[in-house]
Formats: sequence, C-alpha cells, structure tokens
Amino acid sequence: MEFIKILTSKTLFLAIFLLFSFMAPGVDAADKENCLMCHKYRQIGRIDEKGRKRSYFVSENIYANAVHRNVPCRDCHTYIDKLPHDPVTQEVNCANECHIKPPFSNENFSHKKIIDVYNRSVHGSKDDDSAELKAAKPYCKYCHLNPIYTRVDEQRIAFEETLSRCLNCHERKGVTQAYKHITHRLRSKTSRSPQEIVQLCAKNCHADLVLMKKLKVSRESMEAVKTYNESIHGKAIGLGSQTAADCVSCHATSSIHDIYKKDEPHATVNKANLVKTCKQCHENVTERFAQIDVHSEIGPHEKPFLYSVNVILGFVFYGSVFSLIGLAMLESYGRRKDGISMQIVRGTSWRGESKRKKSK
Amino acid sequence: MPGEPKRLEHPKSVYVIGFIFKIITLSVLIAVIYQITFSPHGPAVLVPIKEKIEESQKSAILDEVRQQEEYEKHRHFHHVVEYPQLPENMRPVCYICHSDYPHSKNKKVRAMLNMHTQFFVCETCHIEEQPGMSVIYKWYNPLNENPKGPFFGTSYDTESGNLVEVEDQFSKISPFYRSGDKFKSAIQIQDSDLAQDYVKVRDKLTPEQRDNVKKKFHVHIKAKGHECKVCHSRNGILDFRTLGFSANRIIDLEQLNIKGMVTKYEEFYIPNLFSE
Repeated sequence: MEFIKILTSKTLFLAIFLLFSFMAPGVDAADKENCLMCHKYRQIGRIDEKGRKRSYFVSENIYANAVHRNVPCRDCHTYIDKLPHDPVTQEVNCANECHIKPPFSNENFSHKKIIDVYNRSVHGSKDDDSAELKAAKPYCKYCHLNPIYTRVDEQRIAFEETLSRCLNCHERKGVTQAYKHITHRLRSKTSRSPQEIVQLCAKNCHADLVLMKKLKVSRESMEAVKTYNESIHGKAIGLGSQTAADCVSCHATSSIHDIYKKDEPHATVNKANLVKTCKQCHENVTERFAQIDVHSEIGPHEKPFLYSVNVILGFVFYGSVFSLIGLAMLESYGRRKDGISMQIVRGTSWRGESKRKKSK
Repeated sequence: MPGEPKRLEHPKSVYVIGFIFKIITLSVLIAVIYQITFSPHGPAVLVPIKEKIEESQKSAILDEVRQQEEYEKHRHFHHVVEYPQLPENMRPVCYICHSDYPHSKNKKVRAMLNMHTQFFVCETCHIEEQPGMSVIYKWYNPLNENPKGPFFGTSYDTESGNLVEVEDQFSKISPFYRSGDKFKSAIQIQDSDLAQDYVKVRDKLTPEQRDNVKKKFHVHIKAKGHECKVCHSRNGILDFRTLGFSANRIIDLEQLNIKGMVTKYEEFYIPNLFSE
C-alpha cells in the first residue's frame, strides 16, 4: 500500500515530469526546470490590476546570448516554489548567490560585492533617506538590462586573431561566448557608449527637474545635465565622440558604482582627488588645471565677466552672419530697384542698365 | 550694348564651384538658424514656444502609458522584444475593445490564456457552434489571402531545440464556415462595415446604446472559451497535422504537461531536487 501511495504522490509525478522536461528540445543549462515551456511564448502576459502591461515572455534566442545565459531561472526567482506559480509579487535580489561557480573560485557567484560598493555610494538607499528619495534612487535593473554580449572591436583586443587561436582547441559555440564574456570587461571604458551613459543618467532622473526639485538636491545637481551639455565634454559627446568624458568617467572609479557627493573624501570629484581624476585623460594635470569648473554655470551673477564675454561673442557671431546676409539682401534690393537684375550666365551676376545712370 | 566689351561664358567648373559654395552657405545658414532657435547649445529662442505647443497637446494618460512602457523594460529584464504589428484596420474587431491580453480574471491561467493570442484569433476558442454550420480551422493572415507558412510554433529547430523563427508574423489559426467547396471567414476585421460604423459613432452613443451595439459583435461568441483538452488532445478540434505542425510538435501539443497541471492539480510543488 505504501508503495502505491508513493507511486501516486505528486513528487513522483514531478520527477517523471522533470525527466521528460530535460529530454524535451530547447532546454539548455539555464532552464533546468523547463520554465521556458510556458515563458517562451511572446504573448504570455497580462494587464495587471493597475492597468500596466506585463509581459512574461523570455526569448530563448536572446537569453542564450545574454550575460545571464547560464544562470538557472530559480537562482534569481528564488520565491517560485510551485507550478503553476502564483502571481509574482517579490523582486529579484541581485545579491543572491547563484549556482554558478566562476573559474578559479569555489564560491558560488554573487553580485554582493558590487552591491555593497553601490550601497555605500550616493545612490545606495540610506536609513535617513526620505521615502521619496528612497523611491527615486535607481535599483540594479534601472541601469542594467541583462545585456547581450557584443563583440569588442577595440584594436588592442584583436578579436578575430585571438579567437581563432582559441578555436584551435575549443569548440566555436562555447568559446566564442566565453571570449565575448572576457573581452566584455576589457574595454577601455564601460561596455556602453558615452552617449548611452549620459542618456542613462539624465533621462527620467538627473534631467527631470521636477523630480530633482522634489528631492531637494543642491543647485549644482539641479543644473548638472544642463551645464554638462554646455561644457566641452558634453559638446564632444553630443557630436559623437567616444573618448570624451561622460558622467561615469569623472564621477566613479573603475568600479563604476562608487559615485559619491563631492564633499565625501573618497569621491573622485573631491578637491583632493581631482588631479588624479583629470589625469585619466589629460596629461600634465596641475592643481590649477583641476580647478577648471567642469559644470560651469555662466550666469550674470555667478560669473559676470565670463557671462559678458559670452554675450559679446554671441553678438559678434550672430552679428557677422546676419550682417552679411542683411548687406547682401540690401544690395539685391537696391540693384533691383535700380533696374538691374541678377543673371548667372555670360560673365556677370548683375545685368541691365541702371536707372540712375540713365537719368544722369 | 554698343561699346561694351564682349562678355564670355563662364567655364563650367565655375558653376560647379558656385554650386558647392551655395550649398556650404546654405548649410551654415541652416545651422545658425537651428543654433539660435532650438539647439540646447544656443539661446534657444523658440524653445519656449515649442514647449507651450507641447504643453497644450499633453495628455496625462499618454505620458503615464509611455512611462510605464519604459519602466516595463527595466522590470522585465529579459528584453522586451518588439514585434511587427498589424495595421489597426486589419485587426479583428475584438481589438476595438480588447487587447492582446484579454484574460485577467483567473489568476492561475490568465497569462497562459493570453499566450494563445499569438497563435489564434479570439473566435477560435470563443466561437459558439451553430447547428447546420460546419466550422473548420485554417491559418488566416489578413495581409495574405492564402498564407503558405511556415508558421510560428509549428516546428522545432533541430540544432537549438527552440521553436523555429519564421518570417510570417501575422498568421493565426482561425475558424472558417464551410459552404460547399468554399470557406467563409467566421471573423470580422476592423475594416468591416459594422466595425467602421461603430468606430465612427461610438463617442456619440449613450452607454446603453453602446452595449446594444457590442452585443452585435458578440453574436455567436461565448464568454467562456474551450477547455484545454478541446484542442490539446489526440482528437481535438484542431487538426495539427493539416495545419502543418511537425510530428514531434504535435506530440508535445497533444500531450501537453501544462494542461494536466492546470486541470488536475491544485498545486504542483518543485521539490529541492536541485538544491546543493
């Protein structure tokens, strides 16, 4: 009887189910429990109680090329313990340990270290933060969108040459991904373009002046995006430069997440650290060079001299362009009035007999 | 004019040089005008007017919807993939009121039910059979009268094991009424006369009148769709073979585990088989 009970138990049914799941096509390492059996369909989703569209679709092909491709679903979605599972109300905790052992380590992988760095930074949630500030502070997924590996085209990486050497011993499919994984972090800067970094920091956050005002940030922070766009760095990035400084270049070290207020001693933009920060790109940086205001607000009250020069230069620039146009127009008007018309053939621009000369 | 020296034609190269200079001058002028009017790097003299116009056309609902779509990209994390959409007038009439996610009541299966909208039109599941009318199911594509496939979901990629990606993004299984040798579509698209008329006048109708018209759209439509097994079984109403499904895909669809989980078991716990 006991045996029959076991036979009919859900556990045995589950074991058989999982066995068949593994045999089913399309199941790879990350999808041990065959979650994609349901989640591979693009229309799986719903409109939630608040009217928001929720898509639960996970594209097999995209996920297989994303940086989390080897992480089993339930390593992140730890709260799922039954099938079909209940509506998910919990957020994923990126500090969880997942069952991936990095090379040269026996410890399970976790983002905990970088999250600790982040939590100490200005963006980390603090106990004395107001509720509004806590809600506005970015969380992991705000900036990180499970990126797809991209080939690093920087010259020093020599992608094709090095990969072709790997292929002497390793299979293409596996080693290509592994090579992309390594080179992903070997870029001179972040894997995002400076334009993407500026966009990320500005959009919906630092450029949202209503939000910034609500959070009672300093005047410098309120104007940070505007003054950056007006600076030489901002203009270069705006024109497509890939080497000029973006937000992260100056405000964080290579760990990217350690952004602090400038008064904090370990802030890269603290007065004591500015020379070192500028030296990342500029040669022969002196204390005086480091004093140059990067987020410079050139207003009549803040910097009257610079403001005056700026206004005068504006007048000179616009004045010269529009004066030339005005003169040309005035000349055309006068000549036409005088009976001379413009022709572009036969050796001259203006042809005809002047009424003035005639009357003389 | 008498006495005026004979004028010569300019060489052709002069016209080319002149044209290039004119283009450069025009580009500089356009750049200066942009700099002075809208550019964030200039005095932006017209930006307040632009903002005023945008402000007058602002919709709180639209803003919120766009913001939510942006947040959804972050919440989702697994990449929100954009797929081509049918033009509004070619969609079935159901889409005037319902979206691709019409099911919301049954917490356990609503997302799964919505998943099916990728594969068939609403009527395939919600059609009310009528005596004397024979219904058959075929692939239907409003942009192609005779879709040949391959259709999404019908076969697996032998190498990756994933469902094969296909070019045809719009074909869905749809009911047709058989009339002799001919088939008549059992669905209406938004281009149909009734739908067009409704869209034209719906804002002028009272709520009661609107309800009346909606009834017209729901003739021969039942509120509760088919049970899973009506399609997911060996003798289901969908002939997967005729519809072009591969042999192993048919087996998976006919013996679908999900169907059993939803219908037989209240809860289906994952034991700690994999915990280390």
